[in-house]
Amino acid sequence: MEPGRSGRQSGNPGDDRTGVSIVPALRILRPPALVLGVGLAGVAFGYWANTTYFPGTTPEQPIEFSHRIHAGDNQIPCLYCHSQARRSAIAGVPSVNRCMGCHEKVATDRPLIREVARYFADKEPIPWVKVHDLPDFVHFPHKRHVLADIACQTCHGPVETMDRVTRLAPTKMGQCRACHEEHAVVNGQDCWTCHK
Amino acid sequence: MGTIDRRDFLKLVGAGGVGAAAGFVLAEAIKHPVEHLIPYPVPPEEFSPGVAAWYNTVCSMCPAGCGISVRTLEGRAKKIEGNPSHPVNQGRLCALGQAGLQVLYNPDRLTGPLMRTGARGAGPFVQTTWDDGIAELAGRLNELRADGRSDRVSFLTAGVRGHLAALLELLMAELPGARLLQYDFDHPHTLLAANERFFGAGSLPYYDLENARYVLSFGADYLGGWLSPVHHALGFGRSRQGRSGARGRFVQVEPRMSLSGAAADEWIPARPGTEGFLALGIARQLVAEGGYEGADRDAWAAALDGHTADAVAAQTGVPAATIRRLAGDFAGTRPSLALGGGATGGHTNGVDALVAVNALNYLAGNVGRPGGVLFNPPPAFGPRARAAHASYRDMLALAEDARRGRIEILVVSDTNPVFTLPAAAGFAEALAAIPYIVSLSSFMDETTGLADRVLPSHTYLESWGDDSPEPGVGFTVGAIAQPVVAPLYDTRSKGDILLGIARALGAGEDFPWANMEDYLKAGWREVYGRAPIPAEAGGFEAFWISVLRAGVWGENGRRESGSPAVEARVIDAVGVAPPEFAGSSDEFPFVLHPYLSHALRDGRGANLPWMQELPDPMTSVWYGSWVELNPATAERLGLREGDVVDVESAHGKIGVPVYVFPAIMPDVVAMPIGQGHAGYGRYASRRGANPIQLLAPLTEPVTGGLASSATRVRLVPTGRRVSLVKQGGESRQLGRGIVRTTGAAAVTGPGARLASIPIKVEST
Amino acid sequence: MSFLDDFRARWRAYRHPGHYERFDYAWTMTIDLDRCTGCEACVTACQAENNIPIVGEEALAKGREMQWIRIERYWEGEYPDVKLRFIPMLCQHCDAAPCETVCPVTATYHNQDGLNAQIYNRCIGTRSCSVYCPYEVRYFNYNVHHWDKPLDEQLNPDVTVREKGVMEKCTFCIQRIRQAKDHAKDDGRRRVRDGEMQPACVQSCPAEALVFGDRQDPQSRVAKMMADPRAYRVLEELNTSPSVVYLKKVGADAG
Repeated sequence: MEPGRSGRQSGNPGDDRTGVSIVPALRILRPPALVLGVGLAGVAFGYWANTTYFPGTTPEQPIEFSHRIHAGDNQIPCLYCHSQARRSAIAGVPSVNRCMGCHEKVATDRPLIREVARYFADKEPIPWVKVHDLPDFVHFPHKRHVLADIACQTCHGPVETMDRVTRLAPTKMGQCRACHEEHAVVNGQDCWTCHK
Repeated sequence: MGTIDRRDFLKLVGAGGVGAAAGFVLAEAIKHPVEHLIPYPVPPEEFSPGVAAWYNTVCSMCPAGCGISVRTLEGRAKKIEGNPSHPVNQGRLCALGQAGLQVLYNPDRLTGPLMRTGARGAGPFVQTTWDDGIAELAGRLNELRADGRSDRVSFLTAGVRGHLAALLELLMAELPGARLLQYDFDHPHTLLAANERFFGAGSLPYYDLENARYVLSFGADYLGGWLSPVHHALGFGRSRQGRSGARGRFVQVEPRMSLSGAAADEWIPARPGTEGFLALGIARQLVAEGGYEGADRDAWAAALDGHTADAVAAQTGVPAATIRRLAGDFAGTRPSLALGGGATGGHTNGVDALVAVNALNYLAGNVGRPGGVLFNPPPAFGPRARAAHASYRDMLALAEDARRGRIEILVVSDTNPVFTLPAAAGFAEALAAIPYIVSLSSFMDETTGLADRVLPSHTYLESWGDDSPEPGVGFTVGAIAQPVVAPLYDTRSKGDILLGIARALGAGEDFPWANMEDYLKAGWREVYGRAPIPAEAGGFEAFWISVLRAGVWGENGRRESGSPAVEARVIDAVGVAPPEFAGSSDEFPFVLHPYLSHALRDGRGANLPWMQELPDPMTSVWYGSWVELNPATAERLGLREGDVVDVESAHGKIGVPVYVFPAIMPDVVAMPIGQGHAGYGRYASRRGANPIQLLAPLTEPVTGGLASSATRVRLVPTGRRVSLVKQGGESRQLGRGIVRTTGAAAVTGPGARLASIPIKVEST
Repeated sequence: MSFLDDFRARWRAYRHPGHYERFDYAWTMTIDLDRCTGCEACVTACQAENNIPIVGEEALAKGREMQWIRIERYWEGEYPDVKLRFIPMLCQHCDAAPCETVCPVTATYHNQDGLNAQIYNRCIGTRSCSVYCPYEVRYFNYNVHHWDKPLDEQLNPDVTVREKGVMEKCTFCIQRIRQAKDHAKDDGRRRVRDGEMQPACVQSCPAEALVFGDRQDPQSRVAKMMADPRAYRVLEELNTSPSVVYLKKVGADAG
């Protein structure tokens, strides 16, 4: 900056300036330190904005399947479609065949149903987006929990009221530990039980 | 109030904006990537996601024929275990068997039919179709057949058994005069010939190690790779510590300590090719001391006369006192068992030497008794005629016929003679003279690289088949091999390829089966007929399912006993000629002892990363080739570990680093077989060296088998040095007491036989 | 418990990490050196079961091997009276494990089954544990591992695939132990029976040299093998209390 331009003079910065006033004490936070500070604040803000407004807990699905209609209004039991939850570590999603079991005849005029029928006719799987995703180093067995008579809603929330599935569970270890401790699960506090 | 000028204000706004954007992107970037849940359009009935399905089949990594159970999850093979019900391996499995998964999922598998463009061996292969490939081959076969020249057709396969062999036989019948040769580098030609001569049965007997108390092996690496290593290891373990109060004793006679030699109580180095003399010496002492009471005792005494301990000591280099002691132990510890094979059979006197071993068993009363040599019943199914395995001499004849233009079509399956034949055979050059070569291999090995058409077959884990194991287990047993996964690529099972060729030849009437599975079922109806189930109980279908579920079928679980009489002329002919070697001892001071590498065998395991990364059990070297030298020899030649030397025979030379090996005779050098591929995929190519190339074309006269242990070589230092990549650090314990031994004749206290553990199969 | 007793119990637990009054199951392996032939079937079985990566020649040249069970070989004597001894070496699951004492983040600890547990997602890769281990059975992932497709189709989904920067070692096939307990629970909440579950190495061993089970069960085969006069532990003098018991090889001068 050339001395003499925009009213700036060499020597004591901050003297004889034009423009918006700020609190005098903050004078010490001159750029570039101020820039850095505001920048970091900006990072924090951006991060917060992302996690609050775009948390990814309710991803858009390839077909707008509504659990409210199926599990809520029509009272289809969870295990009718997610049948593997009782037998295996994986709960899984129903095959397209399972959908067509009813929808071959039911509501076949609706555009979403026609889309499902198209997937089935093309023998193409519907690429559902995983809502409750645990890291690969967590081995969560659905079978043990279902057989322990834990209602699906305990972790997954009131799915039967959701049009689009939202992840309500924090899927952090604290939730698992708390429940294991409360119910004195055999080997429940051993890291290797889940992190084998 | 302090002020801020416009530039600074804009800087701050910019910083804030950029910061916000950065923060946003950061939050986005560390977010877990979106994962999908992919359902089945229509779920297969066979399996549930997350729950394993187990399928029984037969391992094909070596000729032993162990039964395996494969764990599959969602249609993918995950783990191979031994089938607990199969009497050969009883739930156990060797390292190579475990690596079968890497054959199935190998990245270098051929994914569909190929056609050569450009020069043979150089030109690229392009994708083509099955219809194309089969039609062209059948067209050419038909042409020759119509002309009465189907004797110009040769099929070259690995050793085949069971219904696939029967199918091949049927196909050969459609081509009058066509030749079928089955070639494996390590086929025990001399052992079969010795059994034919001595017992009148040219088959592999059952060696009952489990019940033996003294096992004397002449060159047979029964724990390493000879015949049926898993079954032998089971027998070894049980003989050692599976019986109360009677620990089996094992002695190994060979010029270089093998895995069996390491496990043995005594390793006896004998000059290469002289093991037969040792057998005769022990036999002579046995008879002389009254250990044999048969009627033909005098004939034996006369035949063995002259093989005194001192005479044999001079021939073999084994001290006379040792020979006397071995003879005493062998005769005095019953049941005893003598084994012969491996390098002992790989000399010009191989058949004679193994006849001497048979004689030893006979005289000690080991034949037809538990703990000794028992005979297998004939296989319950398979080809009508026992196919002759091609010896080295037969392969030379094939090459010669090729050169003279007498072969017009060659179909190769599962065997790689360009790698497993010595350079002296000139096989690759002979192939150049054959106008049309088709390979059914799953991999681009050296022989397939010279083909015109490739019709790649399924791997064994994707195929239907069956097997009657050889050597058997002393009673009738068979197993069905079924696919454990759906085929990965556009390949076909060998049986289906043969059926396709047969149909394209116009012989559809003689081959009324839709596919290999159909053919198997038809064949097994005959097996079923031996003990049918009433129709109400399900009949044949129930039988078929039960065999698939068990993975094995058998009958009459008792072993037959009894010893055939030996003819007088056989006794008179018992004798061993001195071994011949290729190369003079002045020019070539060392005898080369090539041995099947533990992980790579005859080279077939070289494209499997698990096998490349399996340290050699004796030397712990990974990934490479080496030549083993006696320590005194190394010192004399001024060689240290890692010094690269050229191992030179009269037929070639290869450069490999030295490994100082404490348990090898001073004038013998040893090299593992298996590396040195010039193709066969990324894991095998251009790694190490192939000692088969050096071997001289010296054969055993009776069988024509290659005398693979009879080549002399010299070592020429190159001055280069490499660092051998080994797992082992310090190779001596230095008093640390890590491996402890006890001198007492101790046996496991409880004495209970550790029976095979029933494996619980995962269920829903 | 009185305050003093409680304090004593806590102090003892602090001073002896991994010390339990009684294990739920005390998994033990016995290895009969008179049966082991050095065939390395156990090595490959373990590789297949536990997603052990191929590290390649370059890494091996630097000593960065990856084999949870290895066969060590020791020569004795000089030609021609020379012997080669094999010994399978794997994590000994020491009850007084030196590795457990040093981990700054407790990524390795002793669980109620007497196993030395290694938690990959907790490990920060200081590698102190492998320095402390006297058996040298801990292996570090120095590189990002890669499976040439489709070799990754073979990976076992019951076992975590490890990232670069974490330590790993033999787990006595914890995934199989968990599965056996799962089945036992389904089957009427009973305990796992002897022989119902074995690690991959034990299952594959052709010579039946490896035996595995709960040493607290007096009827189990391991308990009987441990009672053999030939039983010993490697580097016993270091007081690590290993859960792997070896049976001495019988010397050649024996009957």
